[in-house]
Amino acid sequence: MSAAAVEIRPPVWRRLFGFNALTAVLLGVGGWYLGWFIGHQVTGPSIDYFGDIDQNDISIFLGYFLGVGGFLIGLGFGVYPWARLRGYPPSLREKETEGVGRYFGLCTDHKVVGIQYLCGIGLFFFIGGLNAMLIRAELLSPTNHIFPPGQYLTLVGMHGTMMMGMMTSGILGPFANYFVPLMIGARRMAFPRIESLTFWLLMAAGAILTTTIFFGGFPTGWTGYEPLNDQANGGMDAYIVFFALVGISMCLLGLNMIATIVTMRAPGLTWSRLPIFCWGVVATSILNLLAAPVLIAVLAMAMLDRTAQTVFFNASGGGSPYLYQNLFWVFGHPEVYILALPGFAIVLELLPVFARKPLWGYRLAVAGLLGVTLLSFLVWQHHLFVSGINADLRPFYMLSTELISIPTGFTFICGLMTLWRGQIRFTVPMLFCLAWFFNFLIGGLSGVFLSDVPSDVTTHGSFFSMAHFHYTIMGGLVFTFFAAIYYWIPKMTGFQLNELLGKIHFWVMFLAFNSTFAPLFAVGFLGQPRRVVSYPAHLHFLNEWVSVSAFVLGASMLVFLYNFVYSLLFARIPAPANPWGSLSLEWQLPSPVPVHDFDRLPVISGEPYAYGEQGGPPIAAPAPAPAGGMS
Amino acid sequence: MSSLADHGTEYGVVESEPPELLGRNLNSAAHLLASATAFFFLAFVFAYFYLRSLDNDHLWRPKHVDPSLTLGTLVMALTVASAVIVRLGLDDHRSGRRAQWRLKGAVALAAGVVAVVLQVVEWTTVGFGPADGGYASVFVGWTAFNVFFIVGTLVWLENLVATSIRYREIPSGAPAPGHASGDPGRMGHDIFDPLSLVRQGLEALSFYWTFLAGLGVVAWVILYLA
Repeated sequence: MSAAAVEIRPPVWRRLFGFNALTAVLLGVGGWYLGWFIGHQVTGPSIDYFGDIDQNDISIFLGYFLGVGGFLIGLGFGVYPWARLRGYPPSLREKETEGVGRYFGLCTDHKVVGIQYLCGIGLFFFIGGLNAMLIRAELLSPTNHIFPPGQYLTLVGMHGTMMMGMMTSGILGPFANYFVPLMIGARRMAFPRIESLTFWLLMAAGAILTTTIFFGGFPTGWTGYEPLNDQANGGMDAYIVFFALVGISMCLLGLNMIATIVTMRAPGLTWSRLPIFCWGVVATSILNLLAAPVLIAVLAMAMLDRTAQTVFFNASGGGSPYLYQNLFWVFGHPEVYILALPGFAIVLELLPVFARKPLWGYRLAVAGLLGVTLLSFLVWQHHLFVSGINADLRPFYMLSTELISIPTGFTFICGLMTLWRGQIRFTVPMLFCLAWFFNFLIGGLSGVFLSDVPSDVTTHGSFFSMAHFHYTIMGGLVFTFFAAIYYWIPKMTGFQLNELLGKIHFWVMFLAFNSTFAPLFAVGFLGQPRRVVSYPAHLHFLNEWVSVSAFVLGASMLVFLYNFVYSLLFARIPAPANPWGSLSLEWQLPSPVPVHDFDRLPVISGEPYAYGEQGGPPIAAPAPAPAGGMS
Repeated sequence: MSSLADHGTEYGVVESEPPELLGRNLNSAAHLLASATAFFFLAFVFAYFYLRSLDNDHLWRPKHVDPSLTLGTLVMALTVASAVIVRLGLDDHRSGRRAQWRLKGAVALAAGVVAVVLQVVEWTTVGFGPADGGYASVFVGWTAFNVFFIVGTLVWLENLVATSIRYREIPSGAPAPGHASGDPGRMGHDIFDPLSLVRQGLEALSFYWTFLAGLGVVAWVILYLA
């Protein structure tokens, strides 16, 4: 750091109360109380409705909205819009400085945002996981023994909502933000401030969801079904605001990713040379962009029902709860693929590196990703098979749902054929990728039972469907999330994780995961419903087995956490620039990557997966320096 | 060590991005935002036809639920007029008539604000409440969020008009290179010419504002005429 920079450094108090996370929390809490106060002034106890139920949803919503506003202002998100309102010109960068402080505020460096996402999502993943441990602790007994039924429902709801909401950005947040610009030869995302905003909105959302316990929780699970939604106490408001903020974050994240990949690819990086991970990001971003607005709209309707007394979902007033189910699942099923597709992309990106072979069927893999994207919008009513929909609609939705197995199969084929006769290296990232094949196969096959009307009637709402979606989402997303962490952490931090601890983490997690969720298929077939605190005594042994396995699964996360902290804070073994021998562009840069990414924009001259080709040309070279073209 | 980047490199020799990049980003974003907006309002279109077809307890639209066609038409017409004026302002800007663009921009802004005010007037005089059946709920929700999107777009328009007015004395010809991510130290301002992005911003805004006005026409047909 230069001497001039040291001289202008502000005093400690100014740094503490500048635009940063501390100020944001203070203004967020202040905004909450201001909204709460205004809400009571606007409505107050004079309105009979609120007097009757002793609950003022308008106050709660206003509190959340002004709280989020204060939080963002505290982070510094108000400065730029205020300058623009006064006619000052646009800019792209903010606080791209060095030091730890940049991780606790608005920063437009995509690499900082990636690491913010990794830590932020990790925190809420940990909270969601703790909820799961509590759920399994309760289910150690056939009758409730720790939590009363209402609290149990809130636990289940918080676990599901936290995981489904926060993990939508589980791979795009940390890894796409960090690596997509590097993979396409760009120096930044298309809209860096929006990139930062998506992260902080997600953090605000996570904090808001945890406040539901102060208002009595919510009884609906992650789906927020009506009419329970409308009848629930104030904790439901936290659910609505949480998911709406997640939806806004998802939508903006998708917009930013697509704009970046469409407009900022380096010269020579044609669509047919685009890394498959970027294709997965494009496919997921399309879903983010188009499905999340429907979620925001349906939650806006739910909010209006709870505050302005509209009757969108109130059958006795001219509305219909089925309207909620339809609109929610127009978002909700693409949401499943928003979680799954990045996992596909990670696997296909990593397999060639560790099999030392080109990706088999690149175009088929791309077709698979885009095919899933398209079909995912045409299947939502399979969630309503037992809700009383028109029976004539069932065959179409059964067929469209089963059709999705075809493009999904493309991904499987491409992955397996890439492995075929490859020189496989069983590194930790590769182990997690291989586990994906096993887990997702079971998840996918069990999904056929749920898409098929006759078997869905039997299994819907049981632990069978719970086991199915944990196999697809945890087995598909979370395993690949860890594959990505072990693969890219050396590039992100400059340090390598301990290999032995990584393998211990993998094997404990893989075995415990299967030991936890495979028996739940049987539990479901034997009749145990989801979201119910008690169950028949003859299912006691299976539930005990599952709970103990779940605790071991939770313990495997502690192994990872230990490895992460030990390797990055204590061992600090420097990682080589390209430890895996990858040909991808991000690995051609030093570790960690400099703030400006590339000195000169690269020109892409080769295929991304030319492994095994002797004497092949490099995939990228710096562009020739233009005469007088440097700034 | 790769030749693509090096810690030891002086930021002073970092190459600039292509100057047309910022405009391309804005243009892409406007189209993507329009797609997202369409899906948002599709939820209200779905709600309208779904609840109308169900007509639970014949409460879809009781007889007294009848919003003012005059006010609704005025709101829609002003929105469309504002979008058309912005488009004409864009033509002025392309032709170098910057003073005319500033005037048209201000007029378009005023038309948009009047549309919002008239919508508020309609809500306060509409003669039915949000609880008066399915139609009333859809009407309140759809118009409320339509106004929300209109206000957001007007803020965007205001930014462009304000920048054009603030820097009205600066002669600006063709868009100057946006030195995005390329300046030494990455601490200074990164776009040299403050007016260089007005044109691209205006093109993106004009597209989105026209799209939103089109959605306003669809809303007017469904909510007032259907």
